[in-house]
Amino acid sequence: METTHSLPFDSFLDKMRNPASLDLVRSIKSFIVSFSFNAGNPENDGKRIQDFFLTTEAAIRDHPLWAGSTDEEIDNALEGLEKYVMTKLHSRTFASSAEDIKMDREISEKICLLQTFLRPEHLDIPVVLQNEASWLLAEKELKKINAFKAPREKLLCIMNCCRVINNLLLNASISEDHVPGGADDFLPVLIYVTIKANPPQLHSNLKFIQLYRRQSKLISEAAYYHTNLVSAKSFIVDLNAKSLSIEETEFEESMQAARLVNRVPQITSPTIDKISTFGKQTDPGPSTEMHKRKTNINDHHIAILGSAGSNYPYMEAEAGELTVADVERLLGLYKDVVTKYNSLCNTVRHLSISKTTVSPASEGTNDLLRGRNGTSRDTDCKGD
Amino acid sequence: MGCSSSLPDRSAGRLSGLNNAENSGVPDAKNLRVKLVLLGDSGVGKSCIVLRFVRGQFDPTSKVVTVGASFLSQTIALQDSTTVKFEIWDTAGQERYAALAPLYYRGAGVAVIVYDITSPESFTKAQYWVKELQKHGSPDIVMALVGNKADLHENREVPVQDGIDYAEKNGMFFIETSAKTADNINQLFEEIAKRLPRPSSS
Ligand SMILES: Nc1nc2c(ncn2[C@@H]2O[C@H](COP(=O)(O)OP(=O)(O)O)[C@@H](O)[C@H]2O)c(=O)[nH]1
Ligand SMILES: [Mg+2]
Repeated sequence: METTHSLPFDSFLDKMRNPASLDLVRSIKSFIVSFSFNAGNPENDGKRIQDFFLTTEAAIRDHPLWAGSTDEEIDNALEGLEKYVMTKLHSRTFASSAEDIKMDREISEKICLLQTFLRPEHLDIPVVLQNEASWLLAEKELKKINAFKAPREKLLCIMNCCRVINNLLLNASISEDHVPGGADDFLPVLIYVTIKANPPQLHSNLKFIQLYRRQSKLISEAAYYHTNLVSAKSFIVDLNAKSLSIEETEFEESMQAARLVNRVPQITSPTIDKISTFGKQTDPGPSTEMHKRKTNINDHHIAILGSAGSNYPYMEAEAGELTVADVERLLGLYKDVVTKYNSLCNTVRHLSISKTTVSPASEGTNDLLRGRNGTSRDTDCKGD
Repeated sequence: MGCSSSLPDRSAGRLSGLNNAENSGVPDAKNLRVKLVLLGDSGVGKSCIVLRFVRGQFDPTSKVVTVGASFLSQTIALQDSTTVKFEIWDTAGQERYAALAPLYYRGAGVAVIVYDITSPESFTKAQYWVKELQKHGSPDIVMALVGNKADLHENREVPVQDGIDYAEKNGMFFIETSAKTADNINQLFEEIAKRLPRPSSS
């Protein structure tokens, strides 16, 4: 999809370079400048930008450059307009409030915990729909969402994810003779995939699409799938023991255990903080950093649970087999283990004193930076 | 079972791309587009009703989308030469997802609340949805109460009169259907279409 989609945008830019469109260019630029100048509130921002899209649409329809254009050509121009404006105003409009950033972080953290114990059965996903390969494809689509800045392209990531899930449902009904369950099947799978994917800035992405996707386009099927992801987000935010039909104590214990497991790598290694700058990517394309991040967390889980030998290769070794060359490596491992052990002890102590987690104070500074940077820079990376 | 169908064309499972210019995006007095949300317990027959309807009863050339898909649309033509495009939003019926329903019925022009005439519990659940929509739905939403599985009359546990009375008390349209025999399925959607508020032509 990526290849075909940039074409309308190029043709939009071409038209904008035509001297005849000077008036339009001027109006778009002046809107962008005036918009970035005002620090507004999101609800109002959405309306202002939607109004601007409509006014510009009228101007384009009347414009000599588009005289005799088909509806599709006009539509392409409007998609180009949306992409241009929203890319320019991205840092000003995407995850731009402290609440949004906090919400994103909280959701992502909760998902990290859920990932450690949530099973498909908790959500009523029938066995015939438990298909790792399909899920992985769907997750991949969802995780691409921050690789794009335009609302349309972000929405497409959601649509593509839902398309993969629908194909899974369709195949199950054909080859497994599974009686199609419609939303009864679709929503649980989407929620599960969302939890497995832990897509970056889920809340902010959904809100951004809601506010800034051209209103005449967020309808019908697109609106339905967008709503389903909003619904998945909402389910995750409110998720408790009852949502999974398990005992309160079992739920609390699982969450507590997950906190313990997830916390250690954060203290001992800076990898997670560093990796969360993946948002810097500016152009569409596979977002490898995001995959790396997830794998890292999983590695840690495995290592801590002691089920994978690879991180501690000397576990099976005999003293006689060791050479001097092993000393450096052994010492490194020794330090690593001691550090992890200490922070684990600290965590346990900390948890028994208070259940609340102390969060790294990184997002405050980001916010300041964004405010000062104005519009043209890529400041869309936030620790989440 | 009741509404199993022949296998769909594989390519039909694909979502229509966002690129398809939605020419129905701007409704006018002649061509309405309406969001219809389906509510009711799992198993009452919501999916079957929609499949019956969408499988081309009104327009044999319209292509069927995925069997069991959670979003389907179907356009019907009325006697007065207007058309109505129904965009049908399915909701997950499991109890754990009930709290999410407001996200789906927000902005809906029509709510179809379905129960199974052989299941009093599903009728109670339907009443719950009616109350919920009266409290939180948009005030001009068109509501239809549907008693499905009318073909199973020997197992009937909800008298027709109960449905009629409840609907009347709440100003709703009521109909009993059978997705299995296709009884009253078209009528259901035609009657809804007739009740839609028409935008004044400009
Ligand atoms: N006898 C009979 N069975 C029906 C009818 N409609 C649906 N069913 C059966 O009821 C079950 C649930 O139907 P479904 O449409 O999946 O219900 P949903 O969960 O509300 O979408 C299926 O086994 C259908 O075959 C009907 O009108 N008559
Ligand atoms: Mg169903």
